[in-house]
Amino acid sequence: MAIRELKVCLLGDTGVGKSSIVCRFVQDHFDHNISPTIGASFLTKTVPSGNELHKFLIWDTAGQERFHSLAPMYYRGSAAAVIVYDITKLDSFQTLKKWVKELKEHGPEDIVVAIAGNKNDLGDIREVPMKEAKEFAESIAAVFIETSARNAVNVEELFQKISKQIPPLENPEVESNESFKLTRQPAASARRCC
Amino acid sequence: MAAEELPSEFDVVILGTGLAESVVAAAFSRVGQRVLHLDRRSYYAGNWASFTFNALLTWIQEHHEESQPEEVQDWSSLLEEGEELIYLSTRGSSSITNLQVFCYASEEDEEEEAPNTTEEDQGGDDEVKETPETESADSNEEEKKQKAGGTPAEEEEEQASQTEGEEPTTSAGQSQSEPTRKKISFAQLVKEGRRFNIDLVSKLMYSRGSLVDLLIKSNVSRYAEFKNVTRILTYRDGKVEQVPCSRADVFASRQLSVVEKRKLMRFLTSCVEETEEQRAYNGRPYLEFLCDQKLGDNLQHFLLHSIAMVTEDTPTEEGLASTRHFLRCLGRYGNTPFLFPVYGLGEIPQCFCRMCAVFGGIYCLRHSVSCLLLDKDTNRCKAVIDSRGQRISCSHFVVEDGFIGADWKREATPTRYLSRAVLITDSSILPSDSDQQVSMVTVPPIAAGCPAVKMVELCPSTMTCMPGTYLVHLTCQSAGSAYQDLSPVVTRMFRTPESHDQESSPTVLWCLYFNMADGSGLEGEGHDLPNNVFLCSGPDAGLGHEHAVRQAQAIFQKILPEEEFCPPAPNPEDIVYDGDNNSPSTPGDGETLEGEEEETPEGEEKVEGEEKEEKVEGEVAKEEKVEGEVEKEEKVEGEVEKEEQSLQTEE
Repeated sequence: MAIRELKVCLLGDTGVGKSSIVCRFVQDHFDHNISPTIGASFLTKTVPSGNELHKFLIWDTAGQERFHSLAPMYYRGSAAAVIVYDITKLDSFQTLKKWVKELKEHGPEDIVVAIAGNKNDLGDIREVPMKEAKEFAESIAAVFIETSARNAVNVEELFQKISKQIPPLENPEVESNESFKLTRQPAASARRCC
Repeated sequence: MAAEELPSEFDVVILGTGLAESVVAAAFSRVGQRVLHLDRRSYYAGNWASFTFNALLTWIQEHHEESQPEEVQDWSSLLEEGEELIYLSTRGSSSITNLQVFCYASEEDEEEEAPNTTEEDQGGDDEVKETPETESADSNEEEKKQKAGGTPAEEEEEQASQTEGEEPTTSAGQSQSEPTRKKISFAQLVKEGRRFNIDLVSKLMYSRGSLVDLLIKSNVSRYAEFKNVTRILTYRDGKVEQVPCSRADVFASRQLSVVEKRKLMRFLTSCVEETEEQRAYNGRPYLEFLCDQKLGDNLQHFLLHSIAMVTEDTPTEEGLASTRHFLRCLGRYGNTPFLFPVYGLGEIPQCFCRMCAVFGGIYCLRHSVSCLLLDKDTNRCKAVIDSRGQRISCSHFVVEDGFIGADWKREATPTRYLSRAVLITDSSILPSDSDQQVSMVTVPPIAAGCPAVKMVELCPSTMTCMPGTYLVHLTCQSAGSAYQDLSPVVTRMFRTPESHDQESSPTVLWCLYFNMADGSGLEGEGHDLPNNVFLCSGPDAGLGHEHAVRQAQAIFQKILPEEEFCPPAPNPEDIVYDGDNNSPSTPGDGETLEGEEEETPEGEEKVEGEEKEEKVEGEVAKEEKVEGEVEKEEKVEGEVEKEEQSLQTEE
């Protein structure tokens, strides 16, 4: 099966649980703040989708959203973006629109957008009605799901939904487009002759 | 959330997000220092930035307005005993001067080009006349952005006002010789503006230069993708020619005779190592050395201008050194020595900033430092006061030199400038089978006393310009204003209303000229500031990035001589969280992940192991592992190509 690397960037206000969602998805862990000393550039997880394997490279904001200082390079080449809000904080839902706008401005045109209402285990102090969020998501043709990173609810599903939205690779040549990553090239092994 | 306070204690506070500052930030953060990284601007990378077309228009406008000096606030109330204030300069933008914009594209899509104006005499006052149009173009743009496709009437009106200041516009279209090609209008450039990433500096990355090495070493390279510069061109006798530089090129070349091919190969092989014969020419011009090699005019031109990229009076040892550097860089990734980052050079500082953030660095744009707090006894900067009056203590302060008033700097020499031009054109300077060429073009002085010009032509697949256009950067050491230095070259090589007989040349749709201060003069310690304050200079004239990387490394080593500079960040697959719960959660995953899990033991070491250990053993382990990785990657379709690329050329 062909592995396709898909960059996914996470957006949303500080504290809505962006990192927790990735952590749950990738490591099936909660309550584990990704300590900056570990230096997670992005986390990866591979899931099957149709007759492809999707290797998600999930980029976290690394705190650069805190003072509204996300760099445009963050969005480059993203296949999908997950915008997270906290269902117990109306503010975080209201800023969703700002993130959508930001994405329109800086993100790739054909990006798949998913909206995740996190912390749905805290339904008793909910401030954002599910209906309203769902309608908003529909209005911008985004995937919508409520999640709980703590209880491992719908996190897998979130990424499955994204996988489904990713259009199958039509033309591999266009996709690769001759640009490449720089990697350590072991002096000898570069000659891979016969 | 708007006015969240910054923490008040850091190890290092860095002001400015240019390349050197960003590398410094990543380096400190990577070894566990607490970094606060600020920029007064609303965008990353300062004078190293790339802009969308619309953002560039805004930038131009800002530089025209300029000069209402910010009020200097008095923060002396925050002083404690034994402290002194040093105010920073509030605007660090005097580094950009002589901005001039010319729009030769028609303003609207469907408009028929009525040939009503002929070429104008290009007089000195033309320049003055043209300048105001910039503003109208900008305000036009500004409004459009704000109302996002607002009323057409208003736009038209503005477009019209723009045309007035700009009679040449119409003549650009007038001589259009290929009716099949649809002309691109200014409105289209604006509409597709986000497809542009227009660099303020124009540099290339030497494939074995210090920046590429650093990107790979630190794993910052993960954040970006690159393209090969696909060909080296030169301008000679009024024509653009391809310079054969790799072995393959030389043999494939149709311009060279068999004898020339043999001579060139022999020369290139012989100059790799220093010989007695070469040493005899030390101190004498490289040109003389080349002449004596009896290579002929063709080869001599290629070797001097395009491969060594030096001038006629450059000494032989210098010429040979840069020839060798060029040759060393050939074949690592492609047929030329150069790489270019997809989305433009402005990505690179952002990549280093991300690395800093990933390791805990705090980022805040639109936020500056007003003054430094100096401890009178130790003569050290112990804290800074930010633009909101918050006192933030730090052990070291690194700053872009534009923020430091001239009275603190030691050099009396006047600032040197670079001349820059940015063109959006409709076709390539040397059309070929592929329309996706990335070309480095060397233009030797077109007349005595004129500067040598370096030109880079980028195609749309570099993601720096919209389909159907090319983005051309010109750079030289300034003798006069950018317009004076570069417009003669533009007029000769491209079709503009001022050019003659350029039927087959690319048409310039839009162009910008400006001068930027040359950062190469500044050394980190050329100032009288406290000794824990370090300056980073802006972009220099060099084609590569050696200057900025060296500067960043010097600052880092000065402050933390014991620590490693930008050790590799762990691979994402290697990050392991303690705790047992590491199993993949869907059945399908197990298999696919397995291949990657193999490496976890090593990964664990890397993440949890001590820094020191990492340096020695980690390095080795890494190398080995990478080999393994490479093999694995062979199976991955998308990656094979990369492999092949290195294969082809490493022969």
